[in-house]
Amino acid sequence: MATTASDHGHDVAHDDHEHHPTAKTYWITFVLLAILTAVEVAWSYLGLSGPALVVPLILMMVVKFLIVGGVFMHLQTDLKVLNGYWFTLTFGTAVVLAVCVYIIVFAAFRWDI
Amino acid sequence: MAIIEEPLALPSGEGPEKASNPMGAFSRPRKPTGLKDWLTTVDHKKIGIMYGTAAMFFLLWGGVPALLLRLQLARPNQGLLSGDTYNQIFTMHGTVMIFLVVMPIGAAFANYLLPLQVGARDVAFPRINAFSFWVFLAGGLMLNTSWFLGGGADGGWFNYAPNNGITYSPGTGIDFWNIGLLIVGFGSLTGAVNLITTVLNMRAPGMGWMRMPIFVWMTLVTQFLLLFAIPVLTVAQLLLLFDRQFDGNFFNVAQGADPLLWQHLFWIFGHPEVYLMILPAFGVVSEVIPTFARKPIFGYPFMVFSGIAIGFMGWGVWAHHMFVSGIGPLSVTAFSVATMFIAVPTGVKILNWLATLWGGKLILNTAMLFAIGLVTQFTLGGVSGVTHAIAPSDTQQTDTYYIVAHFHYVLFGGALFGFFSGFYFWWPKVFGYKLNEKIGKWNFWSMVLGFNLTFGPMHILGLQGMPRRMQTYDVSQGFSTWNMVATIGSFILGFATLSILYNAVYSYNAWRRGGRRNVGADPWDARTIEWSIQSPTPEHNFDVTPTVTSLDDFWHRKYQENDNGVLRRVATGEDLAQPGERGNVHLPAPSYWPIFLAFSLPVIGYGLIYSLWLCIPGIALVMTAMYGWSLEPADDLDDDSHHGDHDDHATELAGV
Amino acid sequence: MSDTDINVEDIDAAGADAAVAVADATTDHAEDHGHDDHGHEEHYTSLGLSNMKLAMWLFLGSECLLFGALISAYLLSKTRFIIELVAGNPNVLAGIRDGENESLVQEMIAEASVEPIFDIPFTSLSSFILLMSSLTMVLAHKSVSEGNYKNLRIWLATTMLLGATFMAGQVYEFTTFYREGLTYNGTVFGTAFYTLTGFHGAHVTGGLIMLGSLLFLSTRNKMQKDRAETVELVGLYWHFVDIVWVLIFTIVYLIP
Repeated sequence: MATTASDHGHDVAHDDHEHHPTAKTYWITFVLLAILTAVEVAWSYLGLSGPALVVPLILMMVVKFLIVGGVFMHLQTDLKVLNGYWFTLTFGTAVVLAVCVYIIVFAAFRWDI
Repeated sequence: MAIIEEPLALPSGEGPEKASNPMGAFSRPRKPTGLKDWLTTVDHKKIGIMYGTAAMFFLLWGGVPALLLRLQLARPNQGLLSGDTYNQIFTMHGTVMIFLVVMPIGAAFANYLLPLQVGARDVAFPRINAFSFWVFLAGGLMLNTSWFLGGGADGGWFNYAPNNGITYSPGTGIDFWNIGLLIVGFGSLTGAVNLITTVLNMRAPGMGWMRMPIFVWMTLVTQFLLLFAIPVLTVAQLLLLFDRQFDGNFFNVAQGADPLLWQHLFWIFGHPEVYLMILPAFGVVSEVIPTFARKPIFGYPFMVFSGIAIGFMGWGVWAHHMFVSGIGPLSVTAFSVATMFIAVPTGVKILNWLATLWGGKLILNTAMLFAIGLVTQFTLGGVSGVTHAIAPSDTQQTDTYYIVAHFHYVLFGGALFGFFSGFYFWWPKVFGYKLNEKIGKWNFWSMVLGFNLTFGPMHILGLQGMPRRMQTYDVSQGFSTWNMVATIGSFILGFATLSILYNAVYSYNAWRRGGRRNVGADPWDARTIEWSIQSPTPEHNFDVTPTVTSLDDFWHRKYQENDNGVLRRVATGEDLAQPGERGNVHLPAPSYWPIFLAFSLPVIGYGLIYSLWLCIPGIALVMTAMYGWSLEPADDLDDDSHHGDHDDHATELAGV
Repeated sequence: MSDTDINVEDIDAAGADAAVAVADATTDHAEDHGHDDHGHEEHYTSLGLSNMKLAMWLFLGSECLLFGALISAYLLSKTRFIIELVAGNPNVLAGIRDGENESLVQEMIAEASVEPIFDIPFTSLSSFILLMSSLTMVLAHKSVSEGNYKNLRIWLATTMLLGATFMAGQVYEFTTFYREGLTYNGTVFGTAFYTLTGFHGAHVTGGLIMLGSLLFLSTRNKMQKDRAETVELVGLYWHFVDIVWVLIFTIVYLIP
C-alpha cells in the first residue's frame, strides 16, 4: 500500500509522512542545534574580538538557520517532492534579497561609502 | 517547469473528509442579493469591479485637489491656498494617486483577469481576496478622514524624517497617513500572496510558463515586488508609529539617531513600488497591441524575461532617490550604474512593442490609441528618468519640477494611459457592451493634449530651477508663462479624464435602449482564453476548464495554416465560445468576515491616534473576526442547491 | 480512481475512529462526483503543491524582509547610539569606523551604564527553550499525520508550555533591564532593542494563540489526520519565529 501512495508523489498533503524524516532524525537535529548553541555561547566567552569573534558566530548562526529550515520546516525533504523546490525558491529568494539589500544599507551607514 | 498535461488526482489536504467532520460554527450568507451580495461576495470578478470603482472614486478625490494646486500656481503671487493647505493638498494628492488609484487599478485588472487568463474558477483564496479589497478601502477611507479631523498629512508623499516626527508635525495628519497606509499595506500583502498562489498553482491544464499571457507574467512580477516591498514600508511606518505614538527615538536626532534610515527604508520600498505601478500597465498594453496589430507579440520570451529582470533590478536602484542626501561616493556610483542598467530591460519592452506594431494591420481604435499613448509617453518619461541616473545632473534636478514632469510622464502618461487602454479593451468582457468609440477617441486625444500641456512645460520649469512643492513664486523668477500653460492643460486633462465616466454612462444607456444585446464572446477577435467565454463573464467563468496547447491559445484555435502554409481563419470566436449555460457549478460561498475584519482594523488605528482604550474593542473585533473566519464552514453544507464540486479550496479554512 | 487508493492506505495507518471517518468521507466523495462530472477540478493544482502551504511560504518570505528591516534598524540605531556616546572622544570615534578601540568603547558604555550588560546564560537558556519548542512542534505534526491524537495533544501542550516559558523569560528580561535604567524612550538603543525583541515576542504570542486554537480543536476531535496540514502550517510559522530568534540571539546578544 505504501508503494501505491508514493507513486502519487504529487499528493503532498497525504504523502507528507512518507517523505518526512523520522522522529529520530528530529531528535538528532535538536541535539545538534543544542550543541551549536552551546558552542556559540562558549565562543562569545573566549574574550575574542573583531572578526575572530564575529565570523564564527555568524557562520554558526547560518548553519542553525539552515538546519531548522531544512529539517524542521521540511525544506530538504520537500525538494524530493515534485515541484517542492518552489518552497525553497520563494523563501530563498526572500532571504537572499533581504540579506543583500540590508547589507548595502548597513554598509552605506557604517562606513559612509 | 513541469507542464502537467492532465489533471492529477489531488486531494488538497482537506478534501471531502470535511463533510463528515465540519469545523463550522457559524453559517455563511445564503444567496444574498443586492447590496448584501456585493458586501459579502468572494467572486473575483465582483471584487475586481469594486477595486476599479473605488479607484475611480479616489481618482476624482485626488484629482480635483490637484486642480486647486494648479489654480494656485497659475499666476505669480497668488493667495488662493495658504502654505499649510497647499502642503496638505500635494501630499494627499500624491498619496491618494499612488496608493489608492494606480495600485488598486492594477489590482482591479489582476483580480478580474488573472483567473480568467489562467483558466481558473476563482483565485486561490476567495475570502482573502475579498479581505484584500475591503482592507484597502478601509485604510483608504481612514487615511482620508484626516481631512475632517484636523487636516491631512503635509510632508510630501514620502514624508521624510525628521520632518514627519512629532516635533515638526504635531498634528494628527501624519498619523492618519501612517496608520492608514499601514492598513492599506495589509491588503496589498494578502493580495500578493493570493495572486501569486493563483498563478503558480491554478493554471489550466497545459498552461505552461511560456504559454501564460504577458499580462499574467507582469502581474506575477508585480505581486512578488509587492510581497517583498510592502513589509519594508510596514517597518518604516511602524518605526514612525513608535516614534510618534510611544515616544521612541528611531528618528530622534537629539538622541543621535540618523533620520536617513527613513529614506533608505522608504526608498527600498519606494523603488520597487514604481515598477509595481507600471508593470501591470505594461501587461495590459502587451495584450492590446498584438490584438489590434493583428500580429503575435514580438519576442515573447524577451518580454517575459525583461519583466523579471526589471523585478530583480528594481531592488538595486533605490538610492538614486537619495543622491543629494550625502551618501558616499561609492554608493552614488553603484546606484548610478544600476539605474542606467535598468533602462535596458525597459528599452527591450519598448522595442518589442514597436516591432509588434511594425508591419501589422493596425486597427486604431481607442484601446489601441491609449496603448500607443503609453508607449510614446512612457518613453519620454523613461528618457528623462535616465537623466536622473547621472548623479551630477540629478543633483541639479532634485526637488525641481523636472522630477514632477518625469514621474507624471511615467505614472500618468504611462501607467494610467495603459489602464485606460485596458478599460476600453476589457469593458465588453466585463459589462457586455463596448464603450463608445467616438467619445473614446475624444477621450484619448483630449487627454493627450491636456496631459502634454500640463506636464511638458514642467520639464522647462524644472530646468529653469522652479522647486517642486513651492506654494507660489514671484513674477521676477520668470516662471509665469509656462505655469499658466500647465494650468490650462491641467483643466483640459481633468475634463478629458472625466469623459471616460461620461462614456461609460452614455454607452450603458445606448446598450440598454438597444435591448441589452451583448457583444458576444469575442468582439475584438482577440488572442487569449478569457475571450472564449461569454460577455459579460458568466458567474462560473468557464463551463469547462480549457486545455491550453499554445501561447495565444484562443487565437490558434481560430486561425490555422492551410496546406500552403497560409494562415486561414478556421472558426470564429463565437463558434468556439463556451455557451456559459452550465448550471449547478459549486462556487465559493460568500462570507461576512472579510469586510468585518477589514473594518475592524481602523478601530485600532483610531485608537492609536486618539486613545489607546479604543484599541481594546478594536483588538476584540479583530479577534472575533479571525475566529469567525477560521471557524466558518468552507461551504454552506446545508445549502442543497450547491452540492456540486467543491471549488472553494477548502484548505483556506485553516485559521492562519 | 487514485483518490480511493490513498484513502484505503490511510485506513491502514489510522486508528479505527479515523477509519470510519475516512470511509464516510469516501462515500461522500463518490456522491460529489455523482453530482458533477467535474469533481476533479478542485484537486488539480498546476504545481501539485498545496495552495495553503505555498501561501504560507510566500508569507514567510515576506516576513524575512520585515525582520530584516527591523534588525537593520536595530544595528544602525546601536551604531548611532555608540557614536553619540563617545562623540566627545574623537580618537575613539575614528576607531569605531576602523573597527578598533572596541574594548575602550565597551568601557565607556559600561561607565555610562545605559546599555544593560546582557545576562548571556539566562538568554542562552531561553534560546534553548525556544529551540526545544521547535522540536516538540515538529513531533506534534508527526503525531497528527500518523493519527496519534493523544500524542498530538501532548506535544502541542508541551510546545505551548515552552513558548510561554520563553515569553515569561522575555517579560522578566524586559523588567530587569527597565529597572537597570534602559527605558523605551530614553535612548536610541532602548527604542531599537525593545522594538526588535518586542516584535519577535508579539510573533511568539501570535503563535501561542494559534497553538492554543489547535489544542482546543484537538480536544474536540476536530483536529484529525485530514487536517494534518493545518498543524504543519502553524508549525512552519512557529519554526520561522524560532529561526528569527536564532538570528536575534547571535546578532543582538552574542555580538557586542
